[in-house]
Amino acid sequence: MADDTRGGDAIVEVDALTKRFGAFTAVDRVSFAVGRGEIFGYLGANGAGKTTTIRMLCGLLAPTEGKALVAGHDVGTHPRRVKRAIGYMSQRFSLYLDLTVEENLAFFSGAYGMYGARRATRIAWALEHAGLADRRGELTRSLPGGIRQRLALASSLLHEPALVFLDEPTAGVDPASRRDFWRLIRQLVRGGTTVFVTTHHLDEAEYCDRVGLMVDGRLVALDTPQGLKATHVPGQVWAVEGATRDQVATALAPAREAKQVHAIQVFGREVHVRVTGPLADRDAFSGALRAAGLGALRLEESQATLEDVFLELVGRGRNGQEEAA
Amino acid sequence: MSRLVRVRAIAQKEVFHILRDPQILIFALGMPVALILLFGYAVSFDVEHIPLAVVDQDHSAESRALVAAFTAQDLFELVATREEPASVEPLLQRNVARAALIIPEGYARDVHRGQMATAQLLLDGADNMSAAIALGYANSIALSQSLGRARVQLGSFEMPVEARVRTLFNPRLQSSVVLVPGLMVIVLVLVAVMLTALTVAREYERGSMEQLFATPVGRIEIILGKLAPYFVLGLVQVLLVLTTGVVLFDVPVNGSLALLFLIASLFLLAMLMQGLVISVVTRNQMVASQVAAISTLLPAMLLSGFVFPIDNMPPVLQGLAHVLPAKYFVDGLRGVLLRGNGLDVVWPDLVAMGLFFVVMLVVSTKRFQRRVA
Repeated sequence: MADDTRGGDAIVEVDALTKRFGAFTAVDRVSFAVGRGEIFGYLGANGAGKTTTIRMLCGLLAPTEGKALVAGHDVGTHPRRVKRAIGYMSQRFSLYLDLTVEENLAFFSGAYGMYGARRATRIAWALEHAGLADRRGELTRSLPGGIRQRLALASSLLHEPALVFLDEPTAGVDPASRRDFWRLIRQLVRGGTTVFVTTHHLDEAEYCDRVGLMVDGRLVALDTPQGLKATHVPGQVWAVEGATRDQVATALAPAREAKQVHAIQVFGREVHVRVTGPLADRDAFSGALRAAGLGALRLEESQATLEDVFLELVGRGRNGQEEAA
Repeated sequence: MSRLVRVRAIAQKEVFHILRDPQILIFALGMPVALILLFGYAVSFDVEHIPLAVVDQDHSAESRALVAAFTAQDLFELVATREEPASVEPLLQRNVARAALIIPEGYARDVHRGQMATAQLLLDGADNMSAAIALGYANSIALSQSLGRARVQLGSFEMPVEARVRTLFNPRLQSSVVLVPGLMVIVLVLVAVMLTALTVAREYERGSMEQLFATPVGRIEIILGKLAPYFVLGLVQVLLVLTTGVVLFDVPVNGSLALLFLIASLFLLAMLMQGLVISVVTRNQMVASQVAAISTLLPAMLLSGFVFPIDNMPPVLQGLAHVLPAKYFVDGLRGVLLRGNGLDVVWPDLVAMGLFFVVMLVVSTKRFQRRVA
């Protein structure tokens, strides 16, 4: 696995990190590094080992094997030093719902041992940051999900950690709030904080500087979103409207023989075809379809997405190559 | 400094949880008062006014004197008179009477002849506790009747042997005076164990324990912070039960109040730890509350000496009673309240409760890892 980290020195260094629960290997010899100031996305299906990895990196779970340095501290031997240095927003819970906004912030700042003027300043910062300055006295229970997530993020940042781990921060949050949340994350990174975020929203992964993909406990890919697409879903994607998948597949049979067609997928009324070689040329592609009697089609250039990468890698991880076109 | 800040932050959060959930306060402060009123007024182990049916077949001055002896005090209350012995049985069956006195014909004659005069007392054994007490009353009435006759016939007569009993510390043997301190044990175990078991299990269940473990807060800090508010709540309960007992039921406070609160504090600490052990082991509110109820309420009721004397129990239960702190708490509390005992007498109780506390503390910190499973 390439250890090229952006922006110089690494804040997280993971080497063959492994966690086994009995006979089950949740995380299998995972190695990577996260550079300072990076948004590092950790992607995978439920049960792929994302949360287990993040828990080990936060000092919540002792690794079975391997080593991880987080902010310079070994998570296996000095979990408490790690905890002091990082912020963590867990997947299930981040706030006490029967406490008010301000009481939650007071609690978490206290839990990080803050007091006096610094505590007051940071609570004020968090209220501002979460846009809750005028709702500080409200019970957290009464806040909508998106605002709760913002408050949870703010409370994990009270002690100004250089690195923050967000485990599925936008699970169950509406799209508009998700976009707002990601705006906050980018703001944070501009301020120099490193963000390690797990998600299963593939569109969110596009916002990350680099993305690691977990399949069944193993890290099967790690690159920038562009790099992942170029490596795993190469070629040109054509969106065809006005024909069925079968018609397109039949029309392209010779090219498929020649391994130039990599995927044919239905997206709504469109059929997306990913091709390499001569068919990457628009005229060549439409010519091939017309030759099979498929005329009067709308043909548009489309983009491979991380979803394509994900399906490609997960399919390969589970069933080998046969799922590809 | 930051250690103290962390403990305070957790304690404060816990106070907010308590204040936001009215059920907790109702449970913690309403229940003790309800229990004490219930036990103090309604549940009484003092047996008085036993309904008595009388069959007087002798119709003599002597037989009427015997009936009068039974009903003179508040012990028995005459509810029916019948002519035939057979007709009182239905009264006992229908619970109209719980005792029947049958004086056969010839009672006065036998008394005057100096022969053994017999009267029969039927008791309802279905309620064995009342029956045993009624029997005691009846025996002492019969004895004093005999003595009276002996004095009449012999001019003067003294019993060859007479035990002169003086009951110390609770001269009227009122059960409320004994029950109120016993109630304290129930109130404290319920709140201390139940609430701590629930509060820690709740954090596991909601996933907040994970968030808490991700902060630099230490195990001991979590324990101290979470238990402190419940410790204070427990002391408030002690004060509440004690005040109610003193004001409404004339419970005497013969010993030192400071010692009393020392005993209560130690017992509270032991119970808070037990609650903590339950919650870190079960990590589930449902299971925790059931384990808490079974492991505290039963020992508090049955093995504390609150109601049933421990000395009469089978050896296994006696052993168990000597391990659990409930017995020592009731012992110490009754000693201080009723007998006015000092530290010189109650220290073994304190030591026993302290030992239990230490064992529970060790078990809970061992099981309470600052990592998620």
